[in-house]
Amino acid sequence: MHIEDGILPLQACAVWYGGTIAFVVPGIYEIKRRVRENPSYKPFLAMVGVAVFVISAMHLPVPVTGSCSHPCGTALAAILIGPFATAVISAIVLFFQAVFLGHGGITTIGANDISMGIVGALSGYVLWRALRAVDCPLWLAAGVAGFVGDLMTYLVTAFELAVSLHGRVPLVKEWMIFFMGYAPTQLPLAIAEAVFTSAVLAAMVGRRPDLLPQILLKKGA
Amino acid sequence: MSTQVKEFGSEGSNPSFFDGYTKMVLAIMIVILLAIFASGTYMSHHKMKGAGTDDIVNDLATATKVNGEHHPFVELPGDAEISAFSVANFCAGLIVGYHWLKLFGSKPQSGTKKED
Repeated sequence: MHIEDGILPLQACAVWYGGTIAFVVPGIYEIKRRVRENPSYKPFLAMVGVAVFVISAMHLPVPVTGSCSHPCGTALAAILIGPFATAVISAIVLFFQAVFLGHGGITTIGANDISMGIVGALSGYVLWRALRAVDCPLWLAAGVAGFVGDLMTYLVTAFELAVSLHGRVPLVKEWMIFFMGYAPTQLPLAIAEAVFTSAVLAAMVGRRPDLLPQILLKKGA
Repeated sequence: MSTQVKEFGSEGSNPSFFDGYTKMVLAIMIVILLAIFASGTYMSHHKMKGAGTDDIVNDLATATKVNGEHHPFVELPGDAEISAFSVANFCAGLIVGYHWLKLFGSKPQSGTKKED
């Protein structure tokens, strides 16, 4: 989902940057508020940020398709630190990946953050909250959040490419062409991300439920 | 803030070379590496390239554009990419491990709680 520099027109990059700023600014306020409420939130944020950096740079081979791709980890991050804070740390992660690893681009940080740090995180988070609200077990809610957050990231990346590059080809057709470039490889990784999200969340809840107050809204955690 | 992990060398601590945390992390690493090795062997045997989907779709998108070119902000030739990823992930592992133990490490036995 890392779109490189030179692919999207500058106008599109500006629009995606604008969308990102609309989430990053409230995210900074959310971080400040939660740090005041709980001093443990700051090291927790650092740990989650670095975890997203590693997870979203970790290319895994998928023998079914003969190509490699990476999970995102942003659905898990949104559950742990909140969706707006996830938009902030994802923007930072994407900046470092672009500058030091040649992964993604500078002009495309906005577009990449929209897909990974905002839609991927928010979709996973909303599903998580909805499933927990109906007494869904923690492992299942977390797994579904991880799975959907992963696929939504790639769906939105494909849309960002298609909306700028579809030309005379129908938008939906171009969108699906780009998405099918990702989907066969991403599907097994989304399943892996579901398992990973469940396992990590279960381990964290078992050790420090006090750090994760929203997780224990319902019984069965 | 009270720490929840016994520090090495502190009174009452029992630093272990091969403790439960290390075993668990090594087990996870071995499982993932075995999966990567098995996948890589299969892909190599079937002459699959194993290219990243990000690059595949970026190339596809570039081919869609007229006079389109795409470049990463930093070009890392050959093994420089492995070096960059290794350094970044080494430091990331240190940070995650440090905070994980600080936040989620085993709680101390009664009487060993220590103020920072």
